[in-house]
Amino acid sequence: MIIHSLTFYMFAAVAVASGVMVISARNPVHSVLFLILAFFNSAALFVLMGAEFLAMVLVVVYVGAVAVLFLFVVMMLDINFREMRHGALQYLPIGGLVGIVLLAELVLVFGSWAVAPEAADVATIPTPDPTVVTNTHALGSVLYTRFVYLFQAAGMILLVAMVGAIVLTLRQRDGLRRQSIAEQNARRKSDTIEVVKVPSRGGV
Amino acid sequence: MYAAAVFLPLLAATIAGLFGRQIGDRGAQLVTCSAICVSALLSVIIFVEVALGGEARQIELFEWIRSGTFEASWALRFDTLSAVMLIVVTFVSAAVHIYSIGYMHHDPHVPRFMAYLSLFTFSMLMLVTADNLLQLFFGWEGVGLCSYLLIGFWFDRPSANAAAIKAFIVNRVGDFGFALGILSVYFIFDSIVFDTIFAAAPQHAGTVMSFLDLDLPALEIACFLLFIGAMGKSAQLGLHTWLPDAMEGPTPVSALIHAATMVTAGVFMVARLSPLFEYAPGTLGFVAFIGATTAFFAATVGLVQNDIKRVIAYSTCSQLGYMFFAAGVSAYPAAIFHLMTHAFFKALLFLGAGSVIHAMSDEQDMQKMGGIWRMIPVTYVLMWIGSLALAGIPIFAGYYSKDMILESAWGAHTGIGDYAFWMGIAAAVMTAFYSWRLIFMTFHGQPRASEIVMAHVHESPPVMIGPLVFLAIGAVFAGLVGYEAFVGDGMHRFWGDSILILPEHRAMEAAHHAPAWVKLLPLVMGVTGIALAWLFYMAAPGLPGRLAGSLKPLYLFLLNKWYFDELYDRIFVRPAFALGRGLWKGGDGAIIDGLGPDGLAATTRRIAVQTSRLQSGYVYHYAFAMLIGVVMLISWYLYRQGM
Amino acid sequence: MNPMPASEAMVFSPAVPEIFLACAAMALLMIGVFRRSDESRTLSTLSVATLAIAFVLVVIFGREPARAFEGLFIVDQFAVFMKALVLIGSASAIVLAVRFNANEGLDRFEYPVIVVLATLGMMMMISANDFIALYLGLELQSLSLYVLAAFRRDSVRSTEAGLKYFVLGALSSGLLLYGASLIYGFAGSTGFDALARVLAAGAPESTWIGVVFGLVFVSAGLAFKVSAVPFHMWTPDVYEGAPTPVTAFFAVAPKVAAVALFLRVLTGPFGPLVADWQQVIVVISVGSMLIGAFAAIVQTNIKRLMAYSSIGHVGYAFVGLAAGTEAGVRGVLIYMAIYLFMNLGTFACILCMRQNGRMVEDIEDLAGLSKTHPMVAAAMGTFMFSMAGIPPLAGFFGKVYVFLPAIEAGLVTLAVIGVLTSVVSCFYYLRIVKIMYFDEVVEPFDRPIGREVGAILWATGLVILLFIVYPAPILAPATTAAASLFGG
Repeated sequence: MIIHSLTFYMFAAVAVASGVMVISARNPVHSVLFLILAFFNSAALFVLMGAEFLAMVLVVVYVGAVAVLFLFVVMMLDINFREMRHGALQYLPIGGLVGIVLLAELVLVFGSWAVAPEAADVATIPTPDPTVVTNTHALGSVLYTRFVYLFQAAGMILLVAMVGAIVLTLRQRDGLRRQSIAEQNARRKSDTIEVVKVPSRGGV
Repeated sequence: MYAAAVFLPLLAATIAGLFGRQIGDRGAQLVTCSAICVSALLSVIIFVEVALGGEARQIELFEWIRSGTFEASWALRFDTLSAVMLIVVTFVSAAVHIYSIGYMHHDPHVPRFMAYLSLFTFSMLMLVTADNLLQLFFGWEGVGLCSYLLIGFWFDRPSANAAAIKAFIVNRVGDFGFALGILSVYFIFDSIVFDTIFAAAPQHAGTVMSFLDLDLPALEIACFLLFIGAMGKSAQLGLHTWLPDAMEGPTPVSALIHAATMVTAGVFMVARLSPLFEYAPGTLGFVAFIGATTAFFAATVGLVQNDIKRVIAYSTCSQLGYMFFAAGVSAYPAAIFHLMTHAFFKALLFLGAGSVIHAMSDEQDMQKMGGIWRMIPVTYVLMWIGSLALAGIPIFAGYYSKDMILESAWGAHTGIGDYAFWMGIAAAVMTAFYSWRLIFMTFHGQPRASEIVMAHVHESPPVMIGPLVFLAIGAVFAGLVGYEAFVGDGMHRFWGDSILILPEHRAMEAAHHAPAWVKLLPLVMGVTGIALAWLFYMAAPGLPGRLAGSLKPLYLFLLNKWYFDELYDRIFVRPAFALGRGLWKGGDGAIIDGLGPDGLAATTRRIAVQTSRLQSGYVYHYAFAMLIGVVMLISWYLYRQGM
Repeated sequence: MNPMPASEAMVFSPAVPEIFLACAAMALLMIGVFRRSDESRTLSTLSVATLAIAFVLVVIFGREPARAFEGLFIVDQFAVFMKALVLIGSASAIVLAVRFNANEGLDRFEYPVIVVLATLGMMMMISANDFIALYLGLELQSLSLYVLAAFRRDSVRSTEAGLKYFVLGALSSGLLLYGASLIYGFAGSTGFDALARVLAAGAPESTWIGVVFGLVFVSAGLAFKVSAVPFHMWTPDVYEGAPTPVTAFFAVAPKVAAVALFLRVLTGPFGPLVADWQQVIVVISVGSMLIGAFAAIVQTNIKRLMAYSSIGHVGYAFVGLAAGTEAGVRGVLIYMAIYLFMNLGTFACILCMRQNGRMVEDIEDLAGLSKTHPMVAAAMGTFMFSMAGIPPLAGFFGKVYVFLPAIEAGLVTLAVIGVLTSVVSCFYYLRIVKIMYFDEVVEPFDRPIGREVGAILWATGLVILLFIVYPAPILAPATTAAASLFGG
């Protein structure tokens, strides 16, 4: 158990530290890299809790796709991050104060936290024993049955995201040369080739 | 028929007023004149049935107000008093209506004028036929309103507007008293219906009412307050200042409203409420005193005025004084008698003056007239008739009524009666004097007007002369014909119950047995006045100037109308303005607005600017504000929890 | 493994309107894509028809209270009432946009489709009976709204509006999720039914506070959606930047939906905690009323003004919510219904503000409207008087129905502040009337105003005018809806 706790605190501490570094690093590329580190640590925390599927998803989706995308964007855009941060940092004192107040209050509450005694009873689905049922199987068995509604709703959200992205970015520009395969296939020789008899010394 | 006599003018006024544009000038004149003429004919029938036939009656139209014990209906009361008033009002009004056709034919607003005239006539008829105090008040205010509208008829003249406002405001003072009077009557009698209060008046003679810990005789107070209203409406000393200024209105208006009818409403009211006033001897004395003083005062002022209409206006004021002191010595029939004769001859004088003004191209200053009697002989003769009647020369109407009043005053045998008698005698001299001063200055002597004006002098058209002739007939014969019935031996039978004179008030009886010198003195005085006027303005034209020079203070005193206007300006107008301005600038502007609306508004604006400044447009400001918001909400929650 | 019988898991009939709407949205999308035409009138007509059918379905399938999808989804009278309002608002937003989009070069078929999808999200929010369902509905709605805000993608202001809304919306979603996870942590469930059971059973004090902490965060996230103070900052910028019909849409439908969420969450699972959340709601309400009243005074842009006005109106509606009683909730429902019609009408008027083919948005541009467009001015005047809460117009009754329960619940101070801020807000509402009726015409607006806009003006104007005569169509369903929330 001690090892379990120690690993937990280690990963947690690294996750928090990298979170701080994300916003304080001078180089934006470093920020993104710290973000990736934070993702990895979170994934490790999932593994510690026996949720290996979520850990893998986190790594694949966030590290593999999102963070890399971020990295590309940051590298491609020419943004003077230093100047931006300079503006943001001037609010640090008051921001820090607010943060500390919030923290104090949360500590105050969690210092004496207690889960409601009935909480265990009302949990909709008891977590299955990971040694018997794999994560993937457990999730799959409820995701498409009991939570089909939520699943479908998430699908609708993705649809909106896609439509929105197209609406806001797709432009019909004039003067672009586009390949039209159907047109190419439909072309016949007579449409394009004309045999001209050129009289000598007359020019075309 | 009875109601028709009253409501026809209203109908005509509505038609002329609302559809004046459609029916045109001619149509409006036709409608209003025919309505008032029919009304006049009906009045004659009513007079015959009610006054001569002795059949007093009341017609209830419909219920008006019923609230608790308070009841008021629209009801018409026809007895001798109202029948007489009906005759006077409709006849003079008819004459004025017809006269106006000629007099106002240049004016662009004929339908409006005719509508106002008819509306006024209706209000006046409502007033005289009222069956309760509230309806009387309705008519009272109605005529006040019409008077205001007609004085300010030429609304493009600032002086006319000022005069209209002055008339309205001065009348407000009187009306305030009048309204209080009605309230006290209701307080005493628990009713405002004439029959009820007249019947109950004897029992309440000794009633007292408490005010500020003072026990005051209730009836005296009520009558006194009512009389304040009469003073305002009838331009008695103190509240008379509006009447001369009211001459800014068109001359027919002056004739109708400010000579014959409206201004006599006060006299009518006192006579109508004689059953109350009879039990308020103190107030009666006050009435007599005010009347006598006004008669004298107005006559003195009339001596020196140069505006032809103002002279007649002060004369009116003075004659109203006569009527009031007659009423004050319980000689109500004499007062009403004089009211009637005065209506005829004063309307005649005013319309005659209008004819002169018309002839002189709207010139009103007598100093710029003179020497025109040959050019407008008919008007000249008619003015003579009016003046003879006014001065009280035998066989003319004024002789009978005025002498009766003076004899009654003498016959009262009281201190106040004697005072009134001698004041009346003095006024009689002056009346004759200024009347002939008017005639001499206007018609005789050297022409003082410009050549152009003189070239235009012409006799008025028949439509104006006709009514004058009619009024002249009244001015000559009204006294002779009416004497017996109004104030003679047939008096009691004629008036019936409409006027009450307590047996102990014997002025009227005594008047018939006055010594010869009393009967002759007014006539002598009248002739003296005429002679003096001849002396001053025909025989020795330089005399008035020298006299004015040697008695300059007195002359100025009279010319400035006893400085009443200046006095009021100092006492009331300026302090009121100062107070108003102080409350406006200091009270309302600085304190209430400053702290209230304006201050609040300014504060609101400041807050608004501050709040909108929070809206910086930076997204991280907004995000930050949200976070602070969350923290604040949580802190607030914890704080409340801690409590 | 599945504790519930399979048959219950398959119950989905209460959600038929939503399922229909989802399928219809996708069908519309397909039609739009394959028509190869940007002309959106046909799609708009179809979308309105879709919403109308959904309206009918909502009424039909909402007769009996029911749960679907294992309790994730709930239908009751309250849901029916709110969904009806949302559908009216959405359909009107599409109708209002037809002409505008055509004139402004925004004629794209995606607009009605996205509105339909947003509507779907709102209906899911209204019917949510679980925090996850709530969150998904909220996100579906929000994402659609972000896109709509930036719909005029060539305008800097519009894209800025969309981006701001997106960033801040993400933050608010974060707050909401954080709150939801706190609640889950302390109470052990995300389902409203289960939460209600746990909280009604009387948890210890320490749990209590933790749950309320979560609730405060959830409230903050939701307050952002209704643009209540202090989460209102985005509103003026977004309202100003977004295309006007979109602003109209923002001002009505999402607000109704988010208020519905507030009502369901606070009175449902957290009903036992009324004394705790009441304080938070009071603060939000007071802040909204004050900001709404004061900040609007200095605005010159009518859309910004309407933004502050809507902030203020949320404050008034929350007065009823703060009462925490059935009468208070009923007041909120009535208020939102009246608010919906007033706002639709006002925005229809704003859409008439077009000079020489160009939209104008300054309040001063309304000068002399009474002389050039007397009917529009009369309608606008009616809406302004109604918003100011002047009897006998509907807005007055809306305020009465929220203030009275608050007073009965002992929140006299709150009601007094409400009345005072209404007085302040009269200033800017009546200023518009003054400008329309007493100022000189500078440049007249174009004519004609368009049939669709005219129809909406008439319809909403009549609702506002006739409420005093025949209030039953709003009062009766609001009463039953409020009762259904309180287990009636």
